[in-house]
Amino acid sequence: MPDSVTESLPASSTITQAASDDGARRTLRLGVAGPVGTGKSSLIALICRELADELSLGVITNDIYTDEDARFLRSAGVLDPERIRAVETGACPHTAIRDDVTANLLAVEDLEADFAPLDVVLVESGGDNLTATFSPALVDAQIFVLDVAGGGDVARKGGPGIGRADLLVVNKTDLGPYVGVDVPQMVADGRAARDGRPVIGLSRLDRASIDQLTGWVRGVLTSFRSGGHVAVDPGPMAPHSHAEAGGAAHFHRHAGGDEDHVHGPAGAA
Amino acid sequence: MSAEVMVMLLADARLPTGAHTQSAGLEAALRAGMPPADVPSYIRARLLTVTAVEAGAAVVARHRTLDAAARTGGDQAAADLAVADLASALSEVDAAWVARTVSPALRETSVLLGRGYLRLISRLWPGSAGATAVAAIRRPGRAVAVGVAAALAGLTAEQLVRLVAYDDVQTVAAATLKIEPLDPVVATGWVVAAADEIERMVGNLAQLTALDEIPAFGAPQIEQWAEIHSVTSQRLFRA
Repeated sequence: MPDSVTESLPASSTITQAASDDGARRTLRLGVAGPVGTGKSSLIALICRELADELSLGVITNDIYTDEDARFLRSAGVLDPERIRAVETGACPHTAIRDDVTANLLAVEDLEADFAPLDVVLVESGGDNLTATFSPALVDAQIFVLDVAGGGDVARKGGPGIGRADLLVVNKTDLGPYVGVDVPQMVADGRAARDGRPVIGLSRLDRASIDQLTGWVRGVLTSFRSGGHVAVDPGPMAPHSHAEAGGAAHFHRHAGGDEDHVHGPAGAA
Repeated sequence: MSAEVMVMLLADARLPTGAHTQSAGLEAALRAGMPPADVPSYIRARLLTVTAVEAGAAVVARHRTLDAAARTGGDQAAADLAVADLASALSEVDAAWVARTVSPALRETSVLLGRGYLRLISRLWPGSAGATAVAAIRRPGRAVAVGVAAALAGLTAEQLVRLVAYDDVQTVAAATLKIEPLDPVVATGWVVAAADEIERMVGNLAQLTALDEIPAFGAPQIEQWAEIHSVTSQRLFRA
């Protein structure tokens, strides 16, 4: 009896180490986060369409209340449907990519084992809000996706994903004229929020922007495999300031652990 | 290591095992038309059937793990043999649980949850006989995994039954709040109301040591709902 059960399940049974512990892993785990409707699924479909001939790819989707995204990607015909799997998050899309990544890690490990050797596993977050970012325990690098139709001021508002994801994509740039958004300004706002980290204004109708995106993915993969890439936590919070007793404000962020400090009256810190 | 702290840790919703993706079948039950007012009865039905099977198997897995640990004090060869024997002994417990769990969907869900516990075990107790033995088993269900975790964490059999039962009740109660929102204190009240039933389970199951003592109570409706849920396209919870 036990055999008939296990045979219906994926072949992988070993428990591999988490991302941070497994130096030998060759599969890049790449997260795609961003608010609902900004085009995360389309961006993943685009990457698959452009790179599936050259790289071995897999996709994990994290839908909130549906397997819509997984079905969309399967129906897009850009990747073997078997390589696209959905993880239900129990209405906790934040939790599943950040505080308890277990369900996603198991799905990633299964995909990597079943289709070894994979070059890249793309993990799509459940569309959430500006504060949702991936834990480095789940992904090695992450793309944060905004779109021009969501409002030209969103990039300027900032947030952990906008400010510190490995790549910020300002998507659907072709829609700028129709929604009254100054696209170059929005991209410039994104750059200003990112301290030199890359920003790509993307449109599926703009070949040059697609080449920029695929070039970035190849570059991160190369860097990851050479050991040059370090997974960075964008952090759960945006940089913010505290007014202090002396009137001076200091500017810092909580994530990353490189700016330890104490909140309190001036002199206590 | 305080067993009291460890039982709280293992019962905590913040334990990283992916449990937040689970509703203990509640989503499937409500979708099938079970009125939300029946949730307390649903909780009790689970305790008397699928949860009793899981808790019973977990108790025997814990017992066998402790039994083996007592034999690893000698030389390396004796320790290796004890680990191999334990892996085999735990496989038998898993097979006993499988034989009592008819629904493939329930088994698959349990295996997934079990893997979450295996991650914990391999990190929190690396190199222990229990961790090594359970890692050698092919895709054990949650019952065996949580039984081994309980042995390594120093839980008594009573604490283990209470843990398995409490976790199941809380999973149902918390999932209800996501699907059919109500005053959360009402759902918490369901857990309190189940406390006596949980203690009866403790009394019935904690002393089990043999495979054939593990309860074999089926819950055809719960199993049917689990099967339907496993092929439903729009789900909030994995199971």
